[in-house]
Amino acid sequence: MSVPVSQMWAVASYVVKQRLGGRRRYPLVLMLEPLFRCNLACAGCGKIQYPAQILRKHLTVEACLRAVEECGAPIVSIPGGEPLMYPDIGRLVEELTARKKYVYLCTNAILLREKLEAGVFKPSKYLTFSVHMDGLREEHDESVCREGVYDEAAEGIQEALRRGFRVTTNTTLFEGASPLRMREFFDAMMDLGVEGMTLSPGYSYSKAPDQDHFLPTRKTQELFSRMLANPKRRWKFNQSPLFLQFLMGKRDYECTPWGNPTFNMFGWQRPCYLLQEGYAESFQDLIENTRWERYGKKSGNPKCRDCMVHCGFEATAVHETFTSWKGFRDTVVATVTGKP
Amino acid sequence: MIEGSEKSLQGWEPEVGSDLSLEQVIDLAFDYRGNTTVVKTDGTELSGYLFNRNPDVPQPFIQIFDASGAGPFTIPYSEIRTIKFTGRDTAAGNSYAAWRKRREEEKTGGATPSGELPA
Repeated sequence: MSVPVSQMWAVASYVVKQRLGGRRRYPLVLMLEPLFRCNLACAGCGKIQYPAQILRKHLTVEACLRAVEECGAPIVSIPGGEPLMYPDIGRLVEELTARKKYVYLCTNAILLREKLEAGVFKPSKYLTFSVHMDGLREEHDESVCREGVYDEAAEGIQEALRRGFRVTTNTTLFEGASPLRMREFFDAMMDLGVEGMTLSPGYSYSKAPDQDHFLPTRKTQELFSRMLANPKRRWKFNQSPLFLQFLMGKRDYECTPWGNPTFNMFGWQRPCYLLQEGYAESFQDLIENTRWERYGKKSGNPKCRDCMVHCGFEATAVHETFTSWKGFRDTVVATVTGKP
Repeated sequence: MIEGSEKSLQGWEPEVGSDLSLEQVIDLAFDYRGNTTVVKTDGTELSGYLFNRNPDVPQPFIQIFDASGAGPFTIPYSEIRTIKFTGRDTAAGNSYAAWRKRREEEKTGGATPSGELPA
């Protein structure tokens, strides 16, 4: 695991504080979507299919900051859309890091080099560029439906690292992914010099164009077991080892949909980052008035049946790490041995 | 049209009645990734993107950004006669299979320009 100690400490103390305060449902990562516009149209993405007037809109920095304060999560992930297309991205990031929020700016990196050269960002331990990389050149370009994007992203990563920024990658895996090719991909990312990698199976958005390539539970477990068997010591993952164990079928978790709440121009998305069943006006409204019993595997909701996505289960894994001795011990063992 | 989840609802102008409730039409409009036109009981209309609906409150409502992006406008269910699916379905025609087919055609010397995105 490659999460810096200061970040781990911030998350651990936050989780313990929530527990001591008797808070049953608390957020861990705010998914802040300032816009839906993107310069790609990936086959696995249902986030960008809106009418033109919606794609032209974006949140103000002030609205973003209000949401961050309201939510209180120690980590803010900025997906989208493509956040580097957000006109105020520099100011937003500066305001968030000044508030000591750990920011993961999730980008396809097409514009990264340009923004870095323009001096839009300053290196900070609170800022990480989480670059979308769905595999080696062939697999990634296919996944984003455009050739040449892998090379652009790799160049962006190298430029960010050269300038002293924290850089990780985020990878979504679909049906047909090759464990062997993914192991080669892990080597390639480590060769590039990224701090760590995050992995997740894709979720079958009802609006995503590619409905045939999402992974059901059994196949997810098989893929991750083969991919992460005998992991190389040099591979670093920027996520909970318990979550990786869950993906490998070694653990059984229930979803924590409130762990990664989502805020965008429509409001607070119910119930989670992936399902859009309505919007709440406030974070409090989201937490108190969402019918959580309708979601997660136990609920029997077919939309949740095969979901093993990080935004639902990583918060569960982190919760276990910092609220049980067994979870803590297993996390330490996996971190020390490098074996999820 | 309702049952065919593969088909787009674009152009549909449903009549609310015994076979089709207003709640069903609203749910379909909420799920539709294009602009719709809300026909109110007073005969006025509002076109835009219906992004929210809440049937679980004492006065159920929808919320919409109009065609210029202004809003959100909140309209109670009780003031809605029907909703027409007037805008282009932005989720339709974006098939992954179609993109792959174009990509294959490109590789084999077809006419598709390099780097073209799904339609």
